[in-house]
Amino acid sequence: MATRPVTGEQRAFMTGNEVVAWAALAAGADIMYGYPITPQNEIMHYWTRMAPKYERGFLQTEDEISAGFATVGGVLAGKRAFTATAGPGNVLMQEAMAMAEMMRLPTVVVVTQRGGPSTATVIYSQQELNLTCFGGNGEGLRIVYSPASHDELFLYTIKAFNSAWKYRFPTFVLGDGYQSKMREPVTIFAPEARGITMEPCHPMVGLPGLPGEERDPAHLRNTYNLEDELYEVLMDAINAYESVAPQVMEWDTYAVDDAELLIIAHGVVSRAARAAVVTLRERGCKAGYFRPVTLRPFPAEPLRPLADRARNLLVVESAYGQLKRHVQAGLYGIPTPVTGYLRPGMGITPEEIAQCALSLLKN
Amino acid sequence: MDFNLKIALAGEGGQGVQAVAEIITEAAYRAGFQALYIPNFGVEQRGGVSVAFVQISSEPVSAPKFTTGDIVVALSPRAVERVRQYVGDKTLLVYEAGLEDDVRRVYGEEQRRLAVPALAIAQEEMHPRVFNVIILGVLVGITGFVKEEAVQQALERQLGHKFARDPALRELNYRALERGYDIGRGKREAVYTNLFAV
Repeated sequence: MATRPVTGEQRAFMTGNEVVAWAALAAGADIMYGYPITPQNEIMHYWTRMAPKYERGFLQTEDEISAGFATVGGVLAGKRAFTATAGPGNVLMQEAMAMAEMMRLPTVVVVTQRGGPSTATVIYSQQELNLTCFGGNGEGLRIVYSPASHDELFLYTIKAFNSAWKYRFPTFVLGDGYQSKMREPVTIFAPEARGITMEPCHPMVGLPGLPGEERDPAHLRNTYNLEDELYEVLMDAINAYESVAPQVMEWDTYAVDDAELLIIAHGVVSRAARAAVVTLRERGCKAGYFRPVTLRPFPAEPLRPLADRARNLLVVESAYGQLKRHVQAGLYGIPTPVTGYLRPGMGITPEEIAQCALSLLKN
Repeated sequence: MDFNLKIALAGEGGQGVQAVAEIITEAAYRAGFQALYIPNFGVEQRGGVSVAFVQISSEPVSAPKFTTGDIVVALSPRAVERVRQYVGDKTLLVYEAGLEDDVRRVYGEEQRRLAVPALAIAQEEMHPRVFNVIILGVLVGITGFVKEEAVQQALERQLGHKFARDPALRELNYRALERGYDIGRGKREAVYTNLFAV
């Protein structure tokens, strides 16, 4: 029986769904729970093909509600458990993820965004930003990574397990159908080859010893009788979230030092935004780009001085203002005008962004 | 020299468009280029227009899709319509020769073009199933940046299990590749060969 799925570093040319399956294996994930939905399916397919070779588990549940709660259960049992879903499946998982928020459970969910609302398309969008960041009946105490390349999809899938178990907040890798289905070069690696140590996992139920005498009782609750009781628990969680947020926050910038036009995009769209900035620079336009890598917590602090200095902000996304609202909330009080190039459910090319930017600069 | 070659391919589901895209992209990656391929598909398993976007580049590829292709391939009447948005003034339109009337109607006379009698060749000289391999050969011939042997190896990775069962299939596929290659090479343009002269 093979034990190490990846040793050192290996170059490969594969789809994003394969990348996620390899990353979960490399991260030492114990079990995946899932229910099929396009464009996520191949994560499950590759996982089920490879997992038995490395003594990892898989359970196909009857729907996404069940897959979400099974992931919660796996985590309670101390397993590095994850699931993957998209679109309507992501909607169904929100109840379980809200429970994970309430109980501070380190669940990991990989989302491959498809067109919405409802069944819509199986292809692509960035319309699951709100849902993934704030989908529960709570405060959105979650960590959400938005990778932009296969290299990042691999890295952030590994990181998601570590952030979840280190900080005890449900963690999401927010990919999309394009990243799932496209093939591009990637370097996969064993975490230790890059100096990454996997956070240990601990069971929260079935602990040894007599509760109350030999150890503290495990007090796992998602129900409270009194407002004050809930308030106290929530404020502890909120304060914990806010105190780790600066460590968790990640972002990327390009050519921002003298940028008069700042283009803001996340995920796969940021690749087009960066390419557009290169084109605009060649034409003598002082353009730069800012990309939130974490959408929750949102890196507003590093964005604010850049936005303040710019003359124009252009938010580009394959949704109708979901990122733009985050940006505007984060930049409250800064007078720089914000324009959106908003294409719900549509892919965005560098040429479109450059054209939009040029017409913005003319006005 | 920096370059980024963009190819869009479209055909009916089942015509093998995605396989062509996958093989050429993989061959390019193994030849040391940056490469990105993304399929675009509907909810149906069969039928419907299937589109593939391929980019081969000296630098990491930016967005997975593009506005205008350098080469656009159309293999069915609906595909001729569907790819219109990716065809610009400089685009070379490659199409199944039987679609001449559709191409004329949609693109007029001026569009740079290459008609490939792939259907006739496949049916009369080979086997209908190698239709897409002829198209693959044409693309390899036009661009000239991947060696035919590299494409044969890519074919082997994709279809090796079928070749093992029926060795005559290998010979058939190689012949289709060769035939397409010769058609494509005739149309090879300085613009592509210069791009890839290393």
